[in-house]
Amino acid sequence: MSETALQPCAPRVVAPPRTPRKRYRRSAYARRRGRSGLAFVTPFMVIFTLFMIAPLGYAIYQSLYTTKLIGGTRYSGFANYSTVLESGDFWNGVIRVIIFGGIQIPVMLAIAFFFATIFDLGVAKWGGLFRAVYFIPFAVPIVVSSLMWGFLLDPAYGPFNRLFSAFGFQNFNWLSPNLMLPSIIIIAIWEWTGYNAIILYTALKSVPRDVIEAAILDDTPLWKIILRIKLPLVRPAIIMLVFINTIGAMQLFIEPTILNNYSAGVVTDTWTPVIDIYTTSISNGEYQLGAAMAVVLAVVIIAISVASLAFRNRRREFG
Amino acid sequence: MLSTKRSGRITRLGATRLVTTGAAAALMAIAGCSSGGSSSSSSSSSAPAASTSSSSSASASSSASASASASPSSTPILAGANCSSSATHITFWAWVPGMDRAVTEFNATHPNICVTLQDPGAGSGEYVPLDNALKAGTGAPDVAEVEFDLLPSYEIQHYLVNLVPYGANNYKSDFASWAWSQVSQGSGVYAMPSDFGPMGFYYDQATLAKYNITPPTTWAQFATDAIKLHSANPKAYLINFPANDPQWLMDMMAQAGAWPFQYTGGANLTIDWTGPAQEKFAAFWQTLINDHAVAAITDLSTEMNTDLDTGVLAAAVYSAWAPSYFAPDVKHSMGQWRAAPLPQWTAGASVGSDWGGSTYPVFSQSKHPAQAAEFSEWLTATTQSWNIVKTPPSSLFPTFLPTLQSSAFKSLTYPISGTSQPNQVFSAGALSIPLTTWPPFMTQVLTQGATTFGGVVTGKETLAQAFAAFQSQEVSYAKSQGFNVTT
Repeated sequence: MSETALQPCAPRVVAPPRTPRKRYRRSAYARRRGRSGLAFVTPFMVIFTLFMIAPLGYAIYQSLYTTKLIGGTRYSGFANYSTVLESGDFWNGVIRVIIFGGIQIPVMLAIAFFFATIFDLGVAKWGGLFRAVYFIPFAVPIVVSSLMWGFLLDPAYGPFNRLFSAFGFQNFNWLSPNLMLPSIIIIAIWEWTGYNAIILYTALKSVPRDVIEAAILDDTPLWKIILRIKLPLVRPAIIMLVFINTIGAMQLFIEPTILNNYSAGVVTDTWTPVIDIYTTSISNGEYQLGAAMAVVLAVVIIAISVASLAFRNRRREFG
Repeated sequence: MLSTKRSGRITRLGATRLVTTGAAAALMAIAGCSSGGSSSSSSSSSAPAASTSSSSSASASSSASASASASPSSTPILAGANCSSSATHITFWAWVPGMDRAVTEFNATHPNICVTLQDPGAGSGEYVPLDNALKAGTGAPDVAEVEFDLLPSYEIQHYLVNLVPYGANNYKSDFASWAWSQVSQGSGVYAMPSDFGPMGFYYDQATLAKYNITPPTTWAQFATDAIKLHSANPKAYLINFPANDPQWLMDMMAQAGAWPFQYTGGANLTIDWTGPAQEKFAAFWQTLINDHAVAAITDLSTEMNTDLDTGVLAAAVYSAWAPSYFAPDVKHSMGQWRAAPLPQWTAGASVGSDWGGSTYPVFSQSKHPAQAAEFSEWLTATTQSWNIVKTPPSSLFPTFLPTLQSSAFKSLTYPISGTSQPNQVFSAGALSIPLTTWPPFMTQVLTQGATTFGGVVTGKETLAQAFAAFQSQEVSYAKSQGFNVTT
């Protein structure tokens, strides 16, 4: 998962609640407030347009052209898109990151919820310290943590392999073709659990006390309070986390790229969609094809996001 | 980072995947909802290879930046201070460590030209910003280091200046014929050759002696020895066979007469990974792979160097720059390393091969091609320059015959090789390299090859199967790029 999961981008696609709008005459105060609001929003909008909308538009424009070594640059319509849609490697990569997210996100959220609950209950000594400790992996740059895990899992020298050898698993290779994805899932869980736990912890903290007090007065067992009362009340936070973690998972890039240096040939140049885009654009110099791939990946991510949003609305998360 | 450390000798294969540029971040930004934040941590991986401190570099950046064209961000200027204000300014990109010494010498002896050296990083560290600047039409250096295999990629896009009008042909007889053929296309000369890497059989004398093996003179003998050594010690191998390094693999194929590409400019290209010679080559190595008689680890890696040092690997089919590349990792086998000629496919023959090497072309964006050519020619074709760049930390192996054939160079000794003189072997090999022509999209070949041949290393496919797959991949790529492909 890339750091991008952190960007507060989820709200962009969140549909506003559909309350019928009343018509009313705007007061002078409201108009003034609207103007100053505009002044506050403008700097963001300018930067957003310059660095997000414009490059996005340029990428879409580029994706409609093809440059050949012999023949130069020509308009090629949707030729790049049909190349992407027919590329088995690209879609294998998409499936791989979906599997990655499908395992990593639920496991990580379960662990994060477990820790968040313990912190919330206040039963652990030095809760503040442990919150900080669990948060540390998130503060380590992903390149650094990938390098660190690479050395830990290294087939030749890694301590983990020594450890497994001691338990009788000879030549256990965490970075072999079959175990590379599970290893990255473990690494991603390690990296992101603390961050997710902190979000869930703050969500749990905001559960109204009177609800819990009422439950305690009714002699509700603790597990029921946690799973039947608190968990449903923090569901919006969990869904928000699923949402941004999914977007991050779809852009898996740094961990496999770094780990490839410890186990050559396992992470291919099309292993994840973003690695594929990178290879196509930078190594092969096919920027326009890369742009088309990026647009297709964006559409896939938007589709998954909208689908999860539809699911959320069906469950009346905001109802 | 792992593979671009130290000499910066190895280049794209490792570096391509490691270097995460802003461009990639921009593409990722398109794909999702990120801002560019994702590049901040990863860009640190493209460590510049040349971190050697130079006395002139530290204070240079303030004075010399005026004329420097747009360079990779925050790349330190390594040489080029203290020029006279009337001098013509030339920008020069290279990653060979210690190159600043030659630039300083040039500036001191050529007061009318002021060369500014910048090191954007080895391999793709330089190529990516270079390609971008060339595509953009502005911001490229006047002269840059470009490896032999990539020259056709720049030639075909008309990015290079023909150096013949600037007297390049005067130096033709000063260079090893293979190197000169590499920089020539038609009647043009598009770069000055600098260093190269004649290949040889580089072995640990003590380890081979332990198994009663003498350096094999033929590949048939080599195969017997490889099997013999591995059965004597199942944990040890005669050599590593890094099938997923297409550059090494192709150089081995060149020696076997199985070179898979033919390209002499224009739109016609021959691709042949499945001919009889290629199949014979694949079959020979597949036998050794099947017998587990060769190791399969990443070449030019710390792991390989450690295995060589500790006797897990007894030898390597390496090149002339091996002694300087490998030396920093040698702890146990100091003084034991010897060079022998490559084993031969025909007994009694003496066919060599080349692995790597660089040239110094002048780019068509240059506003001062005459001065840039003068610098490139001085850098590559004078003993004045070679007396500097042949020494550490540059340790370049010369294509320049007066240096290559001088007894002083041939008789150099290296601590890891004791009193032996490996350059005697490599210098002889330098004159018997078969001519090779690179397709004008070698970056794609290396990247795709690393993927396609990865399955050979992991045992998923045979070398012949990988060759067949690669043949169709390359033919289809070349056609998509508009070439008339012959197979």
